[in-house]
This record gives sequence, structure tokens and C-alpha cells, in this order.
Amino acid sequence: MISKIGFIVNPVAGMGGKVGLKGTDGVLKQAIQLGARPIASDKAVETIKGFISNYSTKDKMQWFTCSGKMGGNELKKAGINKMEIVYTPTSKDTSYLDTKNACKKLLEKHVDLILFCGGDGTARDIFEIVSTKLPILGIPSGVKMHSGIFGINTSASAKMLYEFVNNRLTIGDVEIMDLDEEQYRKGNWNIKLFGIAKGIVEPTYVQVGKTTYESVSDDEIKDELTEHILDEIEQNCDFLFLFGSGGTIDYVARKLGIQNTLLGIDAVYNKKVVGSDLNEENILRLLEKYPKTKVILSPIGAQGFILGRGNLQLSPIVIRKIGLDNIIVISTPSKLASTPVIRVDTSDIKLDNEFAEKEFMMIVIGYRLSRVVKIQTNNF
Amino acid sequence: MGEGLIMKRNSNAFLKEEYDELVKKNFNWKLRILETGSTPHSVVDGKEVIMLCSNNYLNLSNHPRLIQSAINAAKKFGAGSGSVRAIAGTMKLHMEVEEKLAKFKGIESSLIYQTGFAANAGLIPQLVGKEDVIISDELNHGSIIDGVRLTKADRAVYKHRDMGELENILKDADKKYNRILVITDGVFSMDGDIAPMDKIVEISREYGAMTYVDDAHGEGVIGPDGRGIGAHFGIEGKIDVEMGTFSKAYGVVGGLIAGSQDLVNFAYNKSRTWLLSGSHPPSVAGAQLAAIDVLETEPEHVKKLWDNTKYFKKELNSMGFDTGESETPITPVIVGESSKAKELSNRLYDEGIFALPIVFPMVAKDKARIRTMMNAGLTKEDLDFTLERFEKLGKKLGII
Ligand SMILES: Cc1ncc(COP(=O)(O)O)c(C=O)c1O
Repeated sequence: MISKIGFIVNPVAGMGGKVGLKGTDGVLKQAIQLGARPIASDKAVETIKGFISNYSTKDKMQWFTCSGKMGGNELKKAGINKMEIVYTPTSKDTSYLDTKNACKKLLEKHVDLILFCGGDGTARDIFEIVSTKLPILGIPSGVKMHSGIFGINTSASAKMLYEFVNNRLTIGDVEIMDLDEEQYRKGNWNIKLFGIAKGIVEPTYVQVGKTTYESVSDDEIKDELTEHILDEIEQNCDFLFLFGSGGTIDYVARKLGIQNTLLGIDAVYNKKVVGSDLNEENILRLLEKYPKTKVILSPIGAQGFILGRGNLQLSPIVIRKIGLDNIIVISTPSKLASTPVIRVDTSDIKLDNEFAEKEFMMIVIGYRLSRVVKIQTNNF
Repeated sequence: MGEGLIMKRNSNAFLKEEYDELVKKNFNWKLRILETGSTPHSVVDGKEVIMLCSNNYLNLSNHPRLIQSAINAAKKFGAGSGSVRAIAGTMKLHMEVEEKLAKFKGIESSLIYQTGFAANAGLIPQLVGKEDVIISDELNHGSIIDGVRLTKADRAVYKHRDMGELENILKDADKKYNRILVITDGVFSMDGDIAPMDKIVEISREYGAMTYVDDAHGEGVIGPDGRGIGAHFGIEGKIDVEMGTFSKAYGVVGGLIAGSQDLVNFAYNKSRTWLLSGSHPPSVAGAQLAAIDVLETEPEHVKKLWDNTKYFKKELNSMGFDTGESETPITPVIVGESSKAKELSNRLYDEGIFALPIVFPMVAKDKARIRTMMNAGLTKEDLDFTLERFEKLGKKLGII
């Protein structure tokens, strides 16, 4: 089987970082003036080179990319000369529009995967075009990399590409996250959840014979998680349940027949929605009415945050009112495989310390099945 | 089927479809046929090979005393037992095995099941229920997993042999649950490493949890004269349930549990596999009795097994093979990629050595291996022959 790989480099990704900017979107000129130098090209070449030298799968692949510094140059530098150029940027200063246009072309070519080099902003641009039609894999090269589609470094991305081409990884849900620019302009640094994309993830295996294993799809695992949550709800019928955000929780909520806002926080009592897309104020009001509350969370994005990224509505006051013991964390094993610790960053040091003192949390990974996972709070 | 009958559905079509699917994926078992007994040199599929796949660690299945005792029992008491244990299938012989075994292991009481699998599948579901939790090592054997599946208890999994994780789960479970059962393999069958049972018992007791060990690969192998994992750690009687099997080092067949009299009374009144399935034929009980006797009176078998193991491991390591964390006669030879492990296994067979590959996802992607199991019946010449082949092929395939 030949794999068709679409390849996009965002040449200016990551340039803001070294000069202290939170990204490169809209501030490229400023970045260059401050002495920023392009880094994405090197990261892309490093990844492809690593991929080729470690894995002899070249002949199983067909490359589709953009001309010049949006991918063509990088593939050539890495030693790949056979490729199809599907898009040529209109000006030498590329922008997010070029990323988006390239994606449209790659969709037409029916590639199996889009491999890109960039940061959260690039991921968002790609996601806005391909949505969940194609899996996306990121080579980390941005300033912000909170989205769950990045390898932790270039060699991890190369390895994931290899595993994907050899059918050893499956397609699963990953979060696309980025700085909330509106808030940023007001001086707040908030990471927001933008959507749930398709990424490539470690499959979960179950033993079916003595030496035979079958991989179970992420959806089957999420069905188990749904059953687990249903039990929780039925056994605690006097509790209000807050559904957090992210792909896993969204799936569970939909399976339970709960109209859920993918990116927001919803409240359920007696299996009925009593509040959706809640902000902090709404939640606090509900907590007055329902003194017994549990909140269901799931690690979001690349670093495994359960609080502090993508769900700031669950503020320190809210979490204190609910109580640490009433937090239920669910996750697919594949997600835990890529984020072996869970992180908490509530912006309230005292509360963070309470989590830190717990040291670990039980995470539900299947029907009535859990694992213990370390909590990390010293953020960056 | 009558012509006039309209089939509602093709009720048997799945049998062939699913089998064909297994064949297509190369997941179906191709049975290897032994034309000899399970002996150190066996004839497998018509070819004489050195046997490194058998669990007959002590070569007791060929011991004259076991064979004679089986014959005697059959002659005296017949070919079958006639019933389940609970009704009319408990012979004096069965009781003798249980008594002798408990005494040998230095534990108050014991109970024999038809197989080790039947012990796990029958007993585990009786020990816990709703409101309870089972805490297990992530690498536990499939028969434990099936036993666990039959319960209504919650399950929590800890990282392989990670006592920190175990304690963290216990801390959490202590607050939430009624009964807590900690369950682990004793000797792990893929890596040959040993569960830190002394620590597991210590931590579990602190939190009021019950302990259960599946020592299928440790019975007859570890501990003084092969008395098993409790004796290995000097904590006889402190593990709440020591479970094991007669099908491996003991050279016969049959599951066993050892623990308090309370445990045994509870177990045989509640385990459905024990209550609802026929008991061992006299010949089996006779051989079991002789096996325990041999372990008690002929320490040379266990000693030889360990001498062989140490020599084999040392030589493999000095050739540059990675044998992982093994502390027992199960020695994995880790080669990396799955395809390499399969190829090494095939070539070994061609050279007259029978050792099977264990590949992903049984083990991590880059940890595919040949799993070798040592046998007390192999001679130094056999081992040198085997080592020489391993070295030659290891070099040829670029493993060492
Ligand atoms: C760890 C473990 N437990 C239990 C069993 C089952 O034992 P038996 O063969 O007696 O059913 C086995 C055998 O494969 C085993 O390896």
C-alpha cells in the first residue's frame, strides 16, 4: 500500500519565540526587526531526514507539497526528489492564506495524511480547511504547541510518520488549541480550545487469544467510558454533573443523548441539560442551586492539561466549591500513552498546591477500569 | 435441511468467515505436532529439536516415578473419577494430594482445581463484588483477566511491578471501597521477572487489602526445592491466596490454591468451575502425588534447572544478547523488530532448536523476542549446541 503524504511548511512559524513574542501571527515584521530567524525549515528537514535514514519506507510513499520554502525545498534538502507540487504561494512573503490554499489542494489530491511544520496557529489554519476529513500530524516548530497533534520533538514526529505508514497507529481525536487572541489583546494569556481534529494515535490492544491481540478503536473505548459515566450518573442521582470540554467528553455526552457544546462546559442533572456553554458566573449560580456537584474532565491537548487550558470557566472558585474529590477524569489509553502525566494550572497557586499534594489521580480508562497517573503543576 | 425451509439467517457462516479472517492476518494457530513426549529432545513436525518452549521445566513429565504412580492409580481406581468433586468425585487420592501439597509448601491448607485457568476463573469472581476493587499488575496473565471480567468489581491497573503506583491506588481505594484485592502473576511469563511479593504483601496489609498471586511459572521452580513464591520470599502463609498449576514444572496437569483453611472452605463451596466440572482422573492425582514426592526427595532437578539457567543466561549475555530483566528459567532473547524475531525462530528450528517468537503487541514494538524456557533435562552439550546456533544466527541477522 502506497501512502500519500501531504506536506506543508509554514516558513515563518516559531520566529516570534526567541524574541519574546507569543506567536508570529500578525507580528512577523516586528519579529524580524527584533532579530528573529526562520527555524521551521531546519526542523522540517531534520524530521524528513530522520525519517528516511531510520526507516526504509521511502518507496511506500508519495509526496505532495508546495513549491519553495513551503515544503518543496525541505523535501529536496532531505533527499526526496520525487514529489508533486500542488500549490505555489503567490508572494514570497507567505501568510496563513497560503497554508489554507495548500490544504484545499491537498484535499483534492486525496492524501492520507497532512504532515506540517509549524505551531498552534498553523495547526488551526489547517484544521479550518480540512476539519475532520484528514488526519494531521505536526512537526513542532512554533512558539505555542498546545494542540494534540504534535510529536514531542522532530524525531518523535518522524517515528509517528513511520508507524502511520506501516499501519501501526490509528486515527483518533486530538484537540486544536491556541492563544485566545481577543483575550490576549486585553492582556490575558489564555489558551483556548478551537476544535477537535483527527490525529494519529497509539491504538489500544486487548488480548483475544494467548498470543493474539486485537486493536480496539478509540470509539469502542469511548463507548466503555460512556457506560462508566452513565453508571456514575445513575448511582449519584442527587448530583449535578458538569461536562468539561474536549473530544472524549464530547463523545460521551453525545452518546448519552446530552446536547453538548463541544468547546464549552455543560451541566446535566437527572440526565437533562440544565445549562450549556456556561461561563464562570453561570456555573457559580448553578452550584448555589445544586450543592452536590461532580465535574467530568479529560486531558486536553498535547501536554495533558485537565485544568487551565481550554476550560478557564472552571475557575479556582468553581473547583474549590466542587471539591477535588468530585473531579472525575476520563481518558482513552491512547491519549495517556502520549501524555503520561496530567497537568493542572488553575492560576491559583494555593489550589495548584492542593493538587500537587495529591501527587496522583485515578483516571478512568475503561468501564470500571482505572489507572493511576501523576499530577504535575509546575507549569511553564 | 428440507428444501421448503427458508433459512432465517445463515447461522454458521461466521465460523468460516472469522477463521478465514484469522488466516488472512496470519493470526491463526498452526499447531505443531509432537511425535514424542515433551522431552528435552522432542520430535516436532517430524524434526528432532531441542525443546525450549515447554513449561515442563524439571522434566518431571518423563520421570519414572510419576509415570508409575499414574499407572498404579489407574489400575487401582480406574480411568475416570465419575463425578464432580462436590458430589461423588472426591477420592481419598485427591485429599492426599491436597494434604501433601499444603505440607510441602508450608501453608495451612490447599485445594486442587482441574486447571490453573479454572482456579483463576472460579475463585477470583467469588472474592470481590460490587463496592469492591481489584488492583492488578498491567502484565497479568489472561486467565486472571478472565477471572476479573466475571466480577462486578471496579478494576485499577498499576504499572508492571511499580510499588509506588500500587500504593497510590491503595491509598485512593482505601477511601472508596469495601474489599480490596491485589492480584499479580508471581513469575511473569513473558519476561521471566518476579513480582516483589514481600513488598506487595506489606503494602497491601497496611491498607487492609487481600493478596492473590498466580505463581504458575514459579511453582516447582523458585523457593527452596521449588516450594513457590511464598517460600522464595520467606513469607509462607502470608500471601492470602497462592495459586499455581501442576501443568508446568510439576509435569502433570491441575490448578492449585494454597492458603488458610478458611480460604479453602470458602473456595470449594463457591467456585463454580470447581463445583460444576468433573474432578481429575486417578492417574492425574497419582502423578501429582508423585511429583510432590520427587520435589521433596530429589532436590537435584531444581538444582539442575537453575544451573542450566545460569549457564545459558551468562553465555547469552557474554555473546551480547539482551535477556531483559529475567530472574528465572524463562529467558527472553530480545532482538528488536517483530520480523527479526520471527526469522530467528524459523532459522533456529531449521538448525534443530524449537523456540517461539513473542512479537508486538504481546510485547513492546522494539522488544520482540525469542522466549526460551530452560529444562533440567538438557545436558551441557545440548546447551553448548544451542548457544553456538544462537551466536551464529545472532551475528548473521545483525542482532549481536
Ligand atoms: C501465569 C499463568 N497462569 C495460569 C495459567 C493456566 O494454568 P493451567 O495450564 O493449569 O490452566 C498459565 C498457563 O498458561 C499461566 O502461564
